[in-house]
Amino acid sequence: MLELKNLYFSVPENGENGGNLRNIIDGINFTFEDGKFYAITGPNGSGKTTLAKLIMGVNPISQGAIIFNSQDISALTITERAKAGIAYSFQQPARFKGITFRDLLKIATGIEDENKLLEILGRVGICPLSFLDKEVDAKLSGGEIKKIELATTIAANPKLAIYDEPDTGIDLWTIGPMVSLLKKELAENHTTTIVVSHNKAFLEAADVVIIINSGRIAYHGNLEGAMPLLDDLSVCTYRDSCEGDRDAGCYR
Amino acid sequence: MLDAIDKSLLKTVADLEELPKGAYNIRKNGKLLSRHVSANINIETNADETGIIIKIKPGTKNESVHIPVILSQAGLYDVVYNSFIIGDDAEVTIVAGCGIHCGSSEPEGHAGIHEFRVGKRAKVTYVEKHYASGEGRGRRTLNPTTKVFLAEGAHAEMELTQIAGVDEANRVNEAVLGPNSLLLITERVLTDGDQTAVSTNNIVLKGAGSRANMISRSVMKGNSKQTFYALMDAQNKCFGHIECDAIIMDNGTNETMPSLKAGHPDAELTHEASIGKIASDQLTKLMSLGLTYDQAVNRIIQGFLK
Repeated sequence: MLELKNLYFSVPENGENGGNLRNIIDGINFTFEDGKFYAITGPNGSGKTTLAKLIMGVNPISQGAIIFNSQDISALTITERAKAGIAYSFQQPARFKGITFRDLLKIATGIEDENKLLEILGRVGICPLSFLDKEVDAKLSGGEIKKIELATTIAANPKLAIYDEPDTGIDLWTIGPMVSLLKKELAENHTTTIVVSHNKAFLEAADVVIIINSGRIAYHGNLEGAMPLLDDLSVCTYRDSCEGDRDAGCYR
Repeated sequence: MLDAIDKSLLKTVADLEELPKGAYNIRKNGKLLSRHVSANINIETNADETGIIIKIKPGTKNESVHIPVILSQAGLYDVVYNSFIIGDDAEVTIVAGCGIHCGSSEPEGHAGIHEFRVGKRAKVTYVEKHYASGEGRGRRTLNPTTKVFLAEGAHAEMELTQIAGVDEANRVNEAVLGPNSLLLITERVLTDGDQTAVSTNNIVLKGAGSRANMISRSVMKGNSKQTFYALMDAQNKCFGHIECDAIIMDNGTNETMPSLKAGHPDAELTHEASIGKIASDQLTKLMSLGLTYDQAVNRIIQGFLK
């Protein structure tokens, strides 16, 4: 179980030190239950990715606490949170020089045994054996590196898996299998799954849809209940300035 | 014949646990220690006795020759001139390397000037490792010069690595490429402490259809400094590419100057250069897989210099 208690993440306004603070995450309280599939969505700039990164420890929290399986992990490093069973799939996966997919799997799981590695590939739906020795560098296509990213996230059987926009750069035909994969992991390993996405496929697959707006949870519940809010233009933060003017030049 | 220090140096620079199979020439403290020739590979001392001439017979296939140099004598600066003549259509691997063990306050150094004449359609793979160790504070200097002349259709793949412990290095690589020849150079240099290394590379793409690719990977730790010059001089229809990447850590500094000279309208030359700290997204990814910060740094450097 993951509990977010009164969470705030603030940055200096306009990037100056010691100036006014702006709350990117503005007081979030929420409990993620074990083994459930959560989809987090919201307008661009609402704080979705920031929230995901706070859970992983990539950003430090400004106020509040994060409790994971009864342990306060608020001050733990990324490494410590990884060891506690939290895995993260980055929206723009890092590219290296001189590190292969096989190397990353070994780092994630400690496994070197060829057969066991092939099992992992099978789980993720990656076919050719030759994929294992591909270098995870700038030459890989967006789709290839996303599959590798997914594999390294799932490989260590995490208790909590966070996916930041896993569909970025993925073709239409691969999204369905990706959703199925996440649901299968959840069913087989009871992995608590949090997906940050704009994609309907993930919203439909989720047990709980969370809408974040301006750093706060605006809705949580089933997809049906979220539809009015998702359709509602009031999630746009500029309405006060443009007053709904059709020619305001807004591209929302 | 080989003491514990010798064996350790040989293992590090030449991956040798015992005497190699095939032809070899082992040089220790400025003198020949052991030599073995094969049916197709001959090694003899040159006329001035300043080095060796290695001749590989035309058509030789799948053979290798090891020519490591080890130094453990205080105050010795050893200079050798080695020539390699690789016959037409031969395919051979040449493993060189120099290991210095410095146990005193006196300096020790080695300069190896290697000249390769690669025959028509011949393929040579040249692997060279430089390394220095020892508790002595004497300055360790390793200055390799590599000159390659590729005949028509010849291939040369050179892997030049300076692993650690070298205080000062002046590395020179020069090549002249004949028609339809191919040259791949990968140079990896790691410096630490107050060490310095300068690498000067001059590749002349003389023949039509010649291709050259130079990759340089440098890591500067401590207060060390590395300088890298590379010039691709295109005199004909050809492809030339220089890629130089440097990772700076601690107070390391680097100056990188890739340059391209196109003297022919059909020349195609490109270069990429980058210098910077280890990318934070790489560190974050490895930490999210359970490595500590230090483990992540080491793993990235290890992959970078592989």
